[in-house]
Amino acid sequence: MGKDDNQKIILIVEDDEFLRSLTAKRLEKENYHIEVAVDGENAISTVEGIKPRLILLDLLLPGKDGFEVLKKIRSTESTKGIPVIIFSNLGQKEDIEKAKALGVEDFLIKANFTLDDVVEKIKKLIG
Amino acid sequence: MEIPRHVHLAELGRKTLNPLVFWGIITVVLTIVLILIVNAAGIQSGVYLLFLVPVVAYLVIMGFFITYVSKLNKERNRLLADQVRTESTKAEEFQKLNHELETYAKQLFDKDFELTFANKRLQNLEQAKSKFVSVTTHQLRTPLSAIKWTFHMLLQGSLGPTTPDQHNFIEKGFESTQRMIAIINDLLNVDYIEADRSDFNFLSVDLPKLIDGILFEFTNQAESKAIKLKFDKPKVNLPPVAADPIKLGIVLENLLDNAVKYTPQNGQVTVSIGDARMNSARSNLEVVVSDTGIGISEVEGSKIFHRFFRGSNAIKVQTDGTGLGLFISRDIIEKHGGAIWFESILGQGTKFHFTIPVFQK
Repeated sequence: MGKDDNQKIILIVEDDEFLRSLTAKRLEKENYHIEVAVDGENAISTVEGIKPRLILLDLLLPGKDGFEVLKKIRSTESTKGIPVIIFSNLGQKEDIEKAKALGVEDFLIKANFTLDDVVEKIKKLIG
Repeated sequence: MEIPRHVHLAELGRKTLNPLVFWGIITVVLTIVLILIVNAAGIQSGVYLLFLVPVVAYLVIMGFFITYVSKLNKERNRLLADQVRTESTKAEEFQKLNHELETYAKQLFDKDFELTFANKRLQNLEQAKSKFVSVTTHQLRTPLSAIKWTFHMLLQGSLGPTTPDQHNFIEKGFESTQRMIAIINDLLNVDYIEADRSDFNFLSVDLPKLIDGILFEFTNQAESKAIKLKFDKPKVNLPPVAADPIKLGIVLENLLDNAVKYTPQNGQVTVSIGDARMNSARSNLEVVVSDTGIGISEVEGSKIFHRFFRGSNAIKVQTDGTGLGLFISRDIIEKHGGAIWFESILGQGTKFHFTIPVFQK
């Protein structure tokens, strides 16, 4: 994926291939540069190198889950300021509280939103 | 436990030889023996009388005395026997009661055991159910999201142009997915309530503002059926209510969704807020959602808040639905300390009322 310097990088952490490709496709249309991670380990190892402007983070992931990824991101000096939007199908009150306590910009339940809604939220955060 | 003592004691009085007869025989025998001794010794009759008369008199007096003591003795034995008999009857009764008590205690223990066992099984089932609901709903939501987003992208034209006919079908697909997601969300909400995981976050809520927001969600749905959606805003300023805005939103959504769903074309759905402070000891605001819909039959009215219950006329109008909306709504309103009820005329319309306490500073 070629990237010009004006493009903002968004990291999508999502284990479901189809959801991942749909989300990437939709966000690329908005002229964002998309990087993907397919599991928690993958997300932690890529995030420092690419320094995304925003992370779209799923919670149910194989191996290290989204909460662990979030903890790691928030405890690392170079990544702790990156805005994170939780984009998951978990959505019980305790999940939301837990994520909020760790520091997230928003918590979106996939089934209750469309990708257009997500684009809107992202634009509000990083333009 | 047997008590045989009373038999011996009771027979004591009856079996002894009459002491008067006994003493009489002794007196006569001793007198004859004395006479024989005196005669054999050849003692003179004067001395003989002087000796014999006091001895016989003594024997006779002793006889009467012994009889008297024996009578007293007999009487005492009789009383004692009576007492023992009464007491043994009491003991028997007590024994019987004790036995009954033991039987009941055993039954109670058995029941307790059964109940503990049943309760444990129920808890396990409940846990399994919660887990099942939670896993299935989350796993179901992922593929549903994929379907929903795809339909949505097709509808937006992001995947290329579609013919009006195709667009219509895709729209139907999108709506069905939305309904399915709503059902799953309902199921999740029920699990949420039953597991009692929801701690309510009571805030000071501006009720008209909340209602405005929820009504906005229903504009499209109402327009598509040419239903007039109206909000009779109160003329005076009302105090804020103490509510969890998300939970109260679910109640309003459920009531409005029902109202719009079960009101035929060109009908009307109206929301109004009344001040119920005058009518009750606690300060409440009362919300009324009224429609010109199919109504609730009198027979089914009592079941309308039951879990999974759906009115038979409602099923005819709308085949899908969980029958959970009102069940959840009542739970939420009651947890707010409010009440929910309805009035309805079959075929003419329904009015749902609920009250929410005013926020106290």
